[in-house]
Amino acid sequence: MRLDKVRVLVKREYISRVKTKGFWISTILVPVLFGSFALLPALVMSKTSTGQHLVVVDETGTVARPLAERLGGASDHEMGKVTFDVTVEDAAPTAAARERQRQELGRRVLDGDLDAWIWITPEGLADDTVEYHAESVSNFLTQEVLEGALSKVVQRQRLAQAGIDPDRVAELTRSVGLETVKVTQAGGRAEAGFAGVALAYVLFFLLYMIIIIYGQQVMNGVLEEKTSRAVEIVISSVRPFELMMGKLVGVGLAGLTQLAVWLGTMAVLTAPAVVASFAALPEGMSMPHLEPSLALHFAICFLLGYFLYASFYAALGSAFNNVQEAQQFATLAVIFLVAPLVLFPAVVNDPNAPWAVVASLIPVFTPLLMMLRIAVQTPPVWQIVLGYGLTALFVCFMVWLTSRIYRVGILMVGKKPTLKELWRWVRYA
Amino acid sequence: MEQPSLEIENVRKTYGDFVAVDDVSMAVPPGTVFGLLGPNGAGKTTTLRMVMDIIAPDSGTIRLFGRPRRREDLEQIGYLPEERGLYRKMTVIEHLAFLGELHGLGHRDAVARGERWLERLGLADRVKSKVEELSKGMQQKIQLAGTVLHDPAVVILDEPFSGLDPINQGLFKDVLAEFKAEGRTILFSTHVMEQAEKLCDHICLISGGRVVLQGELAVLKRERGGNSYRLVAAGDLAQAEEVPGVAAAVPGDGEARLILEPDADGAAVLRALTQRFDVSEFRSQEPDLEEIFIKAVRDAA
Repeated sequence: MRLDKVRVLVKREYISRVKTKGFWISTILVPVLFGSFALLPALVMSKTSTGQHLVVVDETGTVARPLAERLGGASDHEMGKVTFDVTVEDAAPTAAARERQRQELGRRVLDGDLDAWIWITPEGLADDTVEYHAESVSNFLTQEVLEGALSKVVQRQRLAQAGIDPDRVAELTRSVGLETVKVTQAGGRAEAGFAGVALAYVLFFLLYMIIIIYGQQVMNGVLEEKTSRAVEIVISSVRPFELMMGKLVGVGLAGLTQLAVWLGTMAVLTAPAVVASFAALPEGMSMPHLEPSLALHFAICFLLGYFLYASFYAALGSAFNNVQEAQQFATLAVIFLVAPLVLFPAVVNDPNAPWAVVASLIPVFTPLLMMLRIAVQTPPVWQIVLGYGLTALFVCFMVWLTSRIYRVGILMVGKKPTLKELWRWVRYA
Repeated sequence: MEQPSLEIENVRKTYGDFVAVDDVSMAVPPGTVFGLLGPNGAGKTTTLRMVMDIIAPDSGTIRLFGRPRRREDLEQIGYLPEERGLYRKMTVIEHLAFLGELHGLGHRDAVARGERWLERLGLADRVKSKVEELSKGMQQKIQLAGTVLHDPAVVILDEPFSGLDPINQGLFKDVLAEFKAEGRTILFSTHVMEQAEKLCDHICLISGGRVVLQGELAVLKRERGGNSYRLVAAGDLAQAEEVPGVAAAVPGDGEARLILEPDADGAAVLRALTQRFDVSEFRSQEPDLEEIFIKAVRDAA
C-alpha cells in the first residue's frame, strides 16, 4: 500500500463529506436534540418562574412575615431557581373593602404589574388551605415552592404553639440519601446510578447509529463510484486495495470528526459546573459526566466497529449494481448490530454475567457490548484487552476478505452476482 | 530501431472457459500513433487493462520503456478508459487536482495545470462548477484533461471517440495531433476503421483475442494492396464471393468492394462477374483498412 496515494484518496473522501451541509446539520443537530431533551424542560421551568412578584394578604397577621422572609432569602437548592419578590399587604378592615381589595389585586395581575397574590384567612388555615390567584395556575414549580414554604411556616407555628422547638424537630427529621459509588479498577468514583445508565444508553445508541450510518455511507460511496464509472480512471493509478482503504479511512475520519464534536459537546454540557449553573434537577438526580477515559474507549469501539462493518459494506457496494440489490445483504450487517440491542437491558442489569462476558468477546459484538459494559461497570482489564485484540484481528481478516471481493466487484457491471460467484472472487488469485 | 515505449509479449487472459486475450504480442514504437483495432469483444479493452495493471494476465509479460513494467512507471502514462466517469459532486478544479495528485503532482501544481487545461478546452468559466452541472460533452473534455494533466510520455485511450459529438471528436483529434508533434507515444483502441486509417502510423488488428495483423500502416497497405476492386452492379453483390478468384466481397449501396485472391486474374474475374450481374463498373482500387482487416480475419480462419 502506497501511503502517498492513499493520502490523496483519504483527502478527497474526507473533504467531499465534511464540506456538505448535511454533515454539519447532523453534527450540530444531534447534540442540540439530545441536549434539549435532557435539559430543556428543567431549563424552561426554571426560567419562566424566576422573579415572581407576589402580594401576600394575611388576615391572621401571623404567616405573611415569616413567609416573606423565607421566600425572600430563597435561593438555596430547595427553592431551585425560583425567586420571589414578596409584598405584604394588610387586609382591609371591612368585608366590602376586602372585596374591593381583591378586585384591585385581580386587576393588577391582569395588568402584569403582579404575577400572583395569595390570601390567607384563619378559616382557610384551619382547613389547611390558602387561596392562590394567578393568571396561570399551572405554574407547578412556583406553586410547589410556595406550598413548601407555606407548609414549613405554618408547621413551625403549630409546633411552637404546641410547645415544641421547631429547630429541634427540623434537626431530628433530616432525611437520609443513598450515595451510589461505582467500583472500578482505579478506585471508587461517586456517580448516581441512574445517571450512569443514562450515559451508557446514550453512548450505546450513538455508537450503534454512527456505525450503521457511516457503514452505509461507505457502501453508497462505492456504489456511486462504480455506477458513475469514475472508478476505472482512479483504479488505473491506485490499486483496488488502496482505493478501498482510502475510502474506509476517509469516511471513518469524517465519522470521527463528527463524534469528536458530539462527545466534546457532551463533555462540556455534562461537566458538573455547567450542569449546576443552568439546570434545576429534581432532588436525588445528577447529570452523568463523560470522562476522558470513557470517551477514549468510545473512540476505540467506534473505530473497531466501523472498520469491521464498513469493510463489509464496501464489499457489498462493489459487488452489486445498485442500493436495492446490495440492501438485501446489508441487512445481514444490521442483524449483527441489532443483536447487542436485544441484549442491552440484560447486560445493563448484570454486566459481568458469564454470557455477557462471552458475548462481549465475540468480535462482531465487541464494539457495542464492550462499550456498554465499560460504561456500566468497568470489566477486568484482560477482558477489554482480549476483546479489542480479537476484534482487531477479525477486522484485519474482514478487510482482507472484503478487499478480495472488492477488487473484482468494482469493475464488474451488469449481472447481480450469486453467493457462489462472490466466493469464487475471494479465492481467485 | 529505438526501444519500444510499450511491449506486450505473449499475453493471455482467460475468464473461466472464455479466452479473452490469446497470446497477444505487440510493440509500440516511441513517438508513434498506434491503433489497436478490432471488432467489439475482440479483447482490446482487456489488453489495455492488462497494460495498466488493472487486471493481471494469466501469462506473458508487459514491458514499459524497455524494462519490465513497474507500478511507478504507470505514472508516466495517461489512461482514458472506455468506461469513464467523474465524481458528480466534486467541482471541476477539485476533480482535476485530485486526478493530478493521484499521478504524483503536488496540489498547487495540479491546480495550476488543471486551470491551464480548462482554459485550453474553453471551460475556464466552469472551474468552480460541480461536475454534475456540466453537459456530457464538457464532462468528456474534463476526462481528457484529467488523462493528460500530468504530462505523460505515453497516452493510452480506450475507444476515445465513442460517444463524442463531432465538435469534441475534432477537439480530441487536435489534441492527439499536438501530442504526436510533441513526441509523445499514443496508443488507442477503436472499432471504427476510418478513424484508425486517418490517425495511425502503426496498427495491430485483433479478433477473437488473437492478433491477425500488425505493422506500419503504409507498409501494410502497399503489401496488401493491388488486388482490391470496386464493383458497381445490380443484384445481390454478396454473392460475388462465389465467383472464382474473389477472396472477399464487401457489399455497399449498389456497389461492392472485392478483394481478389493474390494470383487471380482481374480480366477473368470480370468475365465471370458479367455472367452473374449487370456490371456497370469494375476497377482497381487502393484497399482501405476495413478490407485489409476482413481479408486478414479470413486468412487467419
